Amino acid sequence: MTWVIWRQYRVTTAIAVAILAAFAVVLLITGLQDATRWHNALASCGKTNTCGTLAQTVSLGSGPVNTLVVLTLIVPILFGMFGGGPAVARERETGTMQYAWTQSVTRWHWLSAKAGWLLLAGAVFGGLVAGIVTWWSGPVNALNQGQFQPGSFDVQGIVPIGYAVFAVALGIAAGALIGRSLPALAVTGGVFLALRLIVTYWVREHFMPAVTTVYSVTQNLSLNGATWTLAQGTVLPSGQFTTNLSVGPGHVVSGPTGPQVPAACQAATSINATITCMARLGYHSFATYQPGYRFWPFQFIETGTFVALAAALIAVTFLVVRRRDA
Amino acid sequence: MTPVIETGGLTKRYRRVTALSECTISVPQGRISALVGPNGAGKTTLLRLLAGLATPTAGRAAVLGGAPRQDPAFLAEIGFLAQEIPLYRRMTTEDHIGIGAHLNPRWDGESARARLGDLKIPLDRPVGTLSGGQRAQVALALTLAKRPQVLLLDEPVAALDPLARRHFLATLADAVAEGGLTVILSSHLVADIERTCDHLILLASSRVQLCGDVEDLLSEHRVLVGPRKDTTAIERDHTVVQADRTARQTTLLVRLNGPVITGPEWEAGDVTLEDLVLGYMGADADPATGELATVGGLR
Amino acid sequence: MIKFRVEGRSGVPPSQQIAQQVRQALRMGLLAVGDQLPSVREVVSATAVNPNTVLKAYRDLERQGLVEARAGHGTFVRGRPPGPPPGTHVRLGRAMAACVREARAAGLDDEAIESLLRVALQATAEEDIA
Repeated sequence: MTWVIWRQYRVTTAIAVAILAAFAVVLLITGLQDATRWHNALASCGKTNTCGTLAQTVSLGSGPVNTLVVLTLIVPILFGMFGGGPAVARERETGTMQYAWTQSVTRWHWLSAKAGWLLLAGAVFGGLVAGIVTWWSGPVNALNQGQFQPGSFDVQGIVPIGYAVFAVALGIAAGALIGRSLPALAVTGGVFLALRLIVTYWVREHFMPAVTTVYSVTQNLSLNGATWTLAQGTVLPSGQFTTNLSVGPGHVVSGPTGPQVPAACQAATSINATITCMARLGYHSFATYQPGYRFWPFQFIETGTFVALAAALIAVTFLVVRRRDA
Repeated sequence: MTPVIETGGLTKRYRRVTALSECTISVPQGRISALVGPNGAGKTTLLRLLAGLATPTAGRAAVLGGAPRQDPAFLAEIGFLAQEIPLYRRMTTEDHIGIGAHLNPRWDGESARARLGDLKIPLDRPVGTLSGGQRAQVALALTLAKRPQVLLLDEPVAALDPLARRHFLATLADAVAEGGLTVILSSHLVADIERTCDHLILLASSRVQLCGDVEDLLSEHRVLVGPRKDTTAIERDHTVVQADRTARQTTLLVRLNGPVITGPEWEAGDVTLEDLVLGYMGADADPATGELATVGGLR
Repeated sequence: MIKFRVEGRSGVPPSQQIAQQVRQALRMGLLAVGDQLPSVREVVSATAVNPNTVLKAYRDLERQGLVEARAGHGTFVRGRPPGPPPGTHVRLGRAMAACVREARAAGLDDEAIESLLRVALQATAEEDIA
């Protein structure tokens, strides 16, 4: 059965490897360039003691390459839609699944071989892409500390492996349950997208309870590492937390419908005087965030979740394929 | 000798549709059996149940002594050819021979290459580019290369031209002549059935109407032709399968339940396979008139 | 080697057609005593006829004493059906062909020619009885 799968996917594999190689070369070259620029910037800022503001002065990466990296977000979905979906659906449509089963292959064997190799391919491919992107992102992460942000989190580390495995499992399950290629493709794409959006914007931040720090309006909060800031704002004297007002050294920013500077402090002569006045009235700043050291635990939690979902989908697929008529 | 294929009360229902109802058949070893019936009568369903591609709602089926099951040893003994001849269109015939070698415990690739060589079918072209007749021959050669004991074919020659059909049936009959093979072949071409098949299973309205060796079935039936008159005596003694009444004469297809004893005005003739098949396929009584419907008439 | 032609819609069962063609070949001298008949598989491959049908035809011929099956070697001609020698058959066959050509030239189709033959067979049978 392995031989048969190889024969079926030979050309696709070759194309995928070629694309991966091209991608790797582009990122290798630009990555090395970025690394050099970064190290040079570090060296020179050390001499002039301007390392704290490097983020404003140095830019790494280039437009097209950055876009390419962001585009790796769609790698899992492509695998799922074009690798996983047709695996079962088209074979059902064209009858070749039935053909294989009449060639002395039991359904169990057929499905485990197919699913096994496709999932493995997804995991390996997803892992390689993620590995290349993570390596490439080294200098960018060091500079911007942005790897915990949605968008960067999703293309680095190990989550792309989880996504790819899930997408392939989803494609196979959709193919088995729906049986026709195009609808299965559409469902795979739609469900994958929806789930990823939901997890990224609503679920991920709750993997562990976020940390909320309340601090003086006269200071800046400095957090180490790649913090994922979820919310920032002001604690009113009443105890109410609001994100429509931001007070800090040198700035008071109020949202259109947000609370305004209290009357008592409006007469102050300078911004900093206003701020000191508000501090005395009991205003505080707050930030709710996930600290940078939780990056890897979150990566593991999210990857684990998607892999568990994939396993459930595969289990359902096996049940359906076994009991249903060919 | 136990029949190679046997079913008892085999029934298959899909939600509200009954595809096959109380089907009991038996096919002895070495037969080429014709599975005949109108479209929708349950022929494909029966073949799929025998191949293990579907499970029965009720009743039992036994092929080579056991129920069809998901077991490589069993699957290796059964050859199944679906009507659409599903093959991997972009792969060549040689690829398919390779796939067969990897997936089947018993594989005689050389016989497939020899058969296809005799038919001058190229092995190195994608299967999708071959003609319908050539694809059918490739599929048959691949199925025979498994060296199965039972071959189930679902209208394999329906879309072929007469010459391609002849070649296909010749290859099939030759494989049976080699020995060890029993075939069920669904078809509606009576001429082909008459030539190649020695056993008949006739389905109509999802039920088995006839099952047996063609010779026996033909000898059990007669065509009785006589003037239009009262046929109750005949109907009492035998089973009238189909009646064709015109103003001047009555023609009856009967299944004998004993010796034929009729008046001199009745002429008894032998039944041809075509008479038999058309007679049973058209023999649904019309509820409005009570007359038995006729299809194609009798000779 | 004799080549069989099995007609689909002739009304005559295939096994009978094969036996008839063997007997006719013997009458016409196309097959002689000692010649080997095609093997069952050869006949099947050429005509797509069921192997049991061919076996039945050969068995019927064996019963009539015309052929014999030698285990492991095949089926061989043993005798000729009763009747005049092949030469007579060939001569009569040619005469009949000339008659058919004349009938066709006169505008008769196959059906009309067959009816003439049937009438002649019946009439001469009655003459014989009379």
